[in-house]
Amino acid sequence: MNVLGIETSCDETAAAVVDDERVVRSSIVSSQIDLHARYGGVVPEIAGRAHLELLMPVVAEAMSGAGLERPDAVAATYGPGLIGSLLVGLSAAKALAMSWDVPFVGVNHLEGHLFAPVIEEPALEWPLVVLLVSGGHTLLVQATAPGRYRLLGQTLDDAAGEAFDKVARFLGLGYPGGPAIDRAAKEGDPRAFRFPRAMADEGFDFSFSGLKTAVVRTVERDPGASTPDIAASFQDAVVDVLVTKAARAVADVGARSFCLGGGVAANSLLRLRAPEVGVPTYVPSMAMCTDNAAMVAAAGAFRLAHDGPSPLSLSADPNLSLPWTR
Amino acid sequence: MILLGIETAAELVGVALSDAEGPRAGVWVRGERRHAEALAPAIAHVLDQAGVSLPDVGAVAVDVGPGLFTGLRVGIATAQGLAQGLGIGVLAVTSVSVLAREAYDAGWEGPVAAVVDARRGEVFCARFDGPTHETHPPARTDPAALAAELHGDTTLLVVGTGAHRYGGVFAAEGLHVADIREPSPRALVTIAADKLAAGETPVPGAQVRPVYLREADARINWVQR
Repeated sequence: MNVLGIETSCDETAAAVVDDERVVRSSIVSSQIDLHARYGGVVPEIAGRAHLELLMPVVAEAMSGAGLERPDAVAATYGPGLIGSLLVGLSAAKALAMSWDVPFVGVNHLEGHLFAPVIEEPALEWPLVVLLVSGGHTLLVQATAPGRYRLLGQTLDDAAGEAFDKVARFLGLGYPGGPAIDRAAKEGDPRAFRFPRAMADEGFDFSFSGLKTAVVRTVERDPGASTPDIAASFQDAVVDVLVTKAARAVADVGARSFCLGGGVAANSLLRLRAPEVGVPTYVPSMAMCTDNAAMVAAAGAFRLAHDGPSPLSLSADPNLSLPWTR
Repeated sequence: MILLGIETAAELVGVALSDAEGPRAGVWVRGERRHAEALAPAIAHVLDQAGVSLPDVGAVAVDVGPGLFTGLRVGIATAQGLAQGLGIGVLAVTSVSVLAREAYDAGWEGPVAAVVDARRGEVFCARFDGPTHETHPPARTDPAALAAELHGDTTLLVVGTGAHRYGGVFAAEGLHVADIREPSPRALVTIAADKLAAGETPVPGAQVRPVYLREADARINWVQR
């Protein structure tokens, strides 16, 4: 069963073909980073325009890369994300499915990230705790089986990746902020400044806006402060909170494995410290951290098998949340 | 050749088919800007009503604007997907030419100003002096300045969503605004069929771009991310 996956929720235009829910036959990602870099963040209207120009060539490349004339189903992300971006992939996916006369299935982008370990680490033992950290989300999720999720905690304000972007912009390190901070931090001392670890000892929810403010105040008070030291100390505070809470979640729910997911999972310190949670840990490949369509195709194959096709009237939902199990 | 026309440049979603005998089936759905929900089911419905299956379609015609940015992207992405999946080409048709065509198909013989609401107090306008003769290409402008420029030209017919949104402005300059608002899918496929008959070749879907006529609004929406 070959599923063509399409992903256009933010600033990556991606298409992939996945066979049997986990065998990636092709995966093409066209990043728009260069288009948004000068603004220091993703500009929705620019993203929507770029998706429309890039999507068909990306789809054609994914299909020819898989050696396919037509897939057995088409899956596309329908949320969460930027509405104008989601609509491009969703509309094209419905049209492709109609023209090939194959089922169409809408995919939750967040559930897509949870299928990265299904593709890359099929031997992983369930139940899992997944830490999903990106520019738009910071979630701690318990997954008892594919499709069965319980929310343990989430950010109450900024997402972790958003904090990286905002602090990088404030420090003049450029965009995207995650890799920029990661690079700068390699030259700095993570103990130079002691930034707050919000709610580190309580619950599973996160808060990063106070940390961002603390960085701004520190630099304003001490304009000569070393940027690498600030970056390293900031990164240390974020990763400390993420790993501390993830470890507590793993112990609390008795998870047998721990998984990282989302763009911030590309952070080198988080990847280094993730195994501290104390159970076998899955750290996705760099290509599987950032938005891609292979995870969308895998999640789409799962949803198609369990819930059947989606209606052609499916609309994009910019605020879609994971389907929580009661 | 059977043509499938897709119209999403305004708040209305339209789909129509045409064959050698002209336009033959169509549907208009009041979209309320929910283009993505309405369009694919509308296509399925029109094909079903006409007893046509998608592989019978020889080319896709789509309104490329100017008009609502999101609506245009939904329509063009759909046209691209259909064309790529079926291995056929796309004919791009502008919203202003569709509006003018409706006036001429209704029997008008003089010049036409097709005025599309561009939001933010502006309009997109193109002028025609025949169904296929565009004298002024589409441009973004201020409705009052446009009305003043056209002042008192009683040979002219003003049509389109922008003509109606600023109806008072045009009427005050002695201009005649006709009851043609949104571009219709029927006029769209009529133009596309004429283009084919005139020898125009449908292009690969990936080459089709909206006519935006406005730079992207460079605002970052942190909340929506």
